[in-house]
Amino acid sequence: MLKAPRSGLSSSARLSTLPREGRDTLFLLLVVAWVLLPQIGNLPLWCSLFAAGLLLARGWLAWTSGPLPSRWWMAGLLAVTLAATWATHRTLLGRDAGVTLIVVLLALKTLELRARRDAFVIFFLGFFTMLTNFFFSQSLLTAAAMLVALLGLLTALVNAHMPVGKPPLAEAARTAGWMALLGAPVMLVLFMLFPRMAPLWGIPSDGMTGRSGLSGTMQVGTMASLALDDSIALRVRFEGAPPPQDTLYFRGPVLSQFDGREWRAQYAGFGFENPREANLQVSGPPVRYEVTLEPNNRPWLLLLDAAPSPPQLPAQQTGRVFMTPDLQWMASRPLTDLTRYRAESYPDFRHGPERQSLRLQAYVDLPAGFNPRTLQLAADLRRDPRYANADAAAFVAAALEKLRTGGYSYTLEPGVYGRDTADVFWFDNKAGFCEHIASAFVVLMRALDIPARIVTGYQGGDINSVDGFWTVRQSDAHAWAEVWQAGRGWVRVDPTGAVSPGRIGSLARLQAPAGVFATAIGTVNPTLAANLRAAWEALNNRWNQWVLNYTQTRQLDLLKRLGLDVAGWEDLVRAIGVLLALLGAAGVGWMLWERRQHDPWLRLLAQAQARLRQAGVEVPAATPPRQMAALLARHFDAEADDRTAAVRDWLLQLEAQRYAPAASPERRAGLARLRRVFQQLAWPGS
Amino acid sequence: MAFATTLQRLNPLAPARARFQRWWQSRLPLADTLRLTQRNVYILPTAPGWMLAATLLVLLVASINYQLNLGYLLTFLLAGCAAVGMHVAHATLRGIDLKLVAPDAQFAGTSTVLTVQLSSERRTPRRGIGLALLGTDHWTWTDVPALGSATVHVAFAPATRGLHRVPAITAETRFPLGTFRVWCYWRPAAQVMVYPKPEAHPPPLPPGEPKSGGAGTGHAQSSGEFDGVRGYRRGDPLKLVVWKKFAKAGELVSRDSPQTQQHVLWLDFAQAGSASVEQRLSRLCAWVLQADQLGLDFGLRLPGAEIAPGGGAAHQRRCLEALALC
Repeated sequence: MLKAPRSGLSSSARLSTLPREGRDTLFLLLVVAWVLLPQIGNLPLWCSLFAAGLLLARGWLAWTSGPLPSRWWMAGLLAVTLAATWATHRTLLGRDAGVTLIVVLLALKTLELRARRDAFVIFFLGFFTMLTNFFFSQSLLTAAAMLVALLGLLTALVNAHMPVGKPPLAEAARTAGWMALLGAPVMLVLFMLFPRMAPLWGIPSDGMTGRSGLSGTMQVGTMASLALDDSIALRVRFEGAPPPQDTLYFRGPVLSQFDGREWRAQYAGFGFENPREANLQVSGPPVRYEVTLEPNNRPWLLLLDAAPSPPQLPAQQTGRVFMTPDLQWMASRPLTDLTRYRAESYPDFRHGPERQSLRLQAYVDLPAGFNPRTLQLAADLRRDPRYANADAAAFVAAALEKLRTGGYSYTLEPGVYGRDTADVFWFDNKAGFCEHIASAFVVLMRALDIPARIVTGYQGGDINSVDGFWTVRQSDAHAWAEVWQAGRGWVRVDPTGAVSPGRIGSLARLQAPAGVFATAIGTVNPTLAANLRAAWEALNNRWNQWVLNYTQTRQLDLLKRLGLDVAGWEDLVRAIGVLLALLGAAGVGWMLWERRQHDPWLRLLAQAQARLRQAGVEVPAATPPRQMAALLARHFDAEADDRTAAVRDWLLQLEAQRYAPAASPERRAGLARLRRVFQQLAWPGS
Repeated sequence: MAFATTLQRLNPLAPARARFQRWWQSRLPLADTLRLTQRNVYILPTAPGWMLAATLLVLLVASINYQLNLGYLLTFLLAGCAAVGMHVAHATLRGIDLKLVAPDAQFAGTSTVLTVQLSSERRTPRRGIGLALLGTDHWTWTDVPALGSATVHVAFAPATRGLHRVPAITAETRFPLGTFRVWCYWRPAAQVMVYPKPEAHPPPLPPGEPKSGGAGTGHAQSSGEFDGVRGYRRGDPLKLVVWKKFAKAGELVSRDSPQTQQHVLWLDFAQAGSASVEQRLSRLCAWVLQADQLGLDFGLRLPGAEIAPGGGAAHQRRCLEALALC
């Protein structure tokens, strides 16, 4: 059967007859592939293909029990890798280049499994590669995938230390699972109590590349990608009833400088501006809420319009928090972490100078030579007798009316905009999304000599029916306008609402193209899909709140609630010590318990031996019960003494309990009875 | 490997270390059975263990620097597993009963096995336990089943004859993660008798000597009465050879007569060649084996000892032991 040609063997048969080394290698390769799989999207294409090729080649060698390539091959491949990494990243250091290198090194190392040391290098590189996954995602899904990967690596490691025969992998997996289960308390203690420190040295600048979000500038067209990005920007939990959805404007950068193509913020966010310029006056009841902001690598704290007092958040995470004169809240450090803060906003507010001032002149500047037709439109409006005495509000109303009735439409695919974006919008395309509309609107206002600016941020969001959190996605990114009116200050105008009322404040937003699976569920049962999504997001949110956002503040909070008054990291270290000592004590207890697991029959025999020695009978170690009975009879006279006879009978019963056939009454009587009798025995000689 | 040993030799601490180890080993009690407990099982991290520690440190620093809470979780879970692994490794050896099966006597220069029985009263199997003679690197690996025992054969090649104590044995495991080495030392009390190495191609057995004190030795040979046949012995007269048998079977067989039994085969140290003592003993050993194989009675004369002629396994063993201890 074994001599049959290989083609005659099915692959499953081959798998079971594979030598142990081949099987173990294939399993390890599978685990390595699983570790690398989530990285594919973040790696250069050549790196993914190269790693996949190496793993496949190694798998083929393991399958056919072929010889490993020589060291020259390895050296050559390594050189190619280094060169390619250099060509891609222009460096071999830093985070992205490091990840690329580690991935390829891990795949390369599988080709070099000559000694035990090589296997260990793979395991430890594997652990590190798992961590690099977290640079890109710390979601629940990633965590689950990496837990599987960790169990896989541990299984391979345990299996490598079973040198005898070909033990089934399931057994190694069971051992690994037990170890992880028992290691979990240690993990929990350390995770809860390990002092959270600031980064030891500066995070390399490429730390956050590839994360989308609002940008500090607005070049017409960049928002299209944001609108398609369904990932979560922030979550909000309102205390009390949430305000209506159409009033939820989360303020981001305010763009007031326009060069014809691009809108820029006036304030770069250095914190030197005078917030009193904002002249914020609030009235009415405040809205209190808590925001969990996904990292955006920007110093922007997104708050509802308008918050007069700074949000409360851990200072070590963001540095100083301040408000710019255009009402945007900023931190002095980019938010590279999930950030949670509580804030208070007043939907009823006024801000900005009440009277015309020189400062407002900046808000009517338009670059020369751009958008001639829009300028002409403004001039026509000014000359229009209907607007002879019109103020800013009247012009705003006129512009909004034009948007409503002029055949303008909202689209995510506005087509190519030329040089004069406002002209194209007002006269040619008549279609666009929020940033085209807002940009064209502000240009028109400025052409009418009305101070106007663009505010970017997020608008809307939807409530999760499971946990009551509002979720605001990148697709909720929005651009609206603010127009200055004498006596009122800056007034929010959302021209997109005039074009497409559905874009503002409605759940029926433009949907990003869904995946195959989501489409299938959605067509079968739309509510089920919505519920599933809500449950999933609630779970994800819980994960964010408890795992990813576990900061020092939370740490201290938690301990305080547990009754430990902890002031600093010294106390934390002490608490770790105490808890680990407790865990250790539990381990010792377990060990003692395990010792009790030893054969109870032998224990009883040892007790009887000790008792006989006390009675003065010399019993050598490892004496069986019958021999003990004989020794006893030699020492005391069994016939004369009832007690001796009873002990002898007991010893013979003990023997029968061990050696009688399984079905006999002696066996079934059980050790418990013998033990009871042992306690009551009267011993001779005492 | 050669480089490493050179390094070891250059290490100024090496002699002190070796002396310490000798002293330490001589303190160990001698016992043919050994129960491994907390007291005699040792544990230390291995080189991969230190590597894992370094990996954990790197993971921790990366988690701190990139503020990865999930990284902390990974690091601490791995650390927890390593800590549990330490206990598992120690528990793998702890609680095992080692028992040496009394070794048989053997010849110098041959490789034999010591049989060690490992029994476990634990309800789960114990994996990856290796045994080796202390100081050698020839590990024999075994698993001990749950509530059962396993038998391990450890190769043992004594170089010199004599009565040797069984060398110290060490048991080791690196299960489950290879990050800790758990080991124990064991000095069995048993002794093993090592006979001299039998000469590979010994000269034929010496001729028999007339039995001392026997009457009428000279003429009895021609009495013509034969009791039976026996293997040809050097010095047998040609007329005693059964030629018919030789023609059939190709082996020389002599007629045995009561007279020949008057002759006694003495294996004498003085007549075992003129080479060194060990070579003589080795020749005598070969002769003893040969004589026993032929079923001859023989006596052994050694300086300061003489074993009266006799036959059978017990006699042979007595002779071999005498040779071993000479």
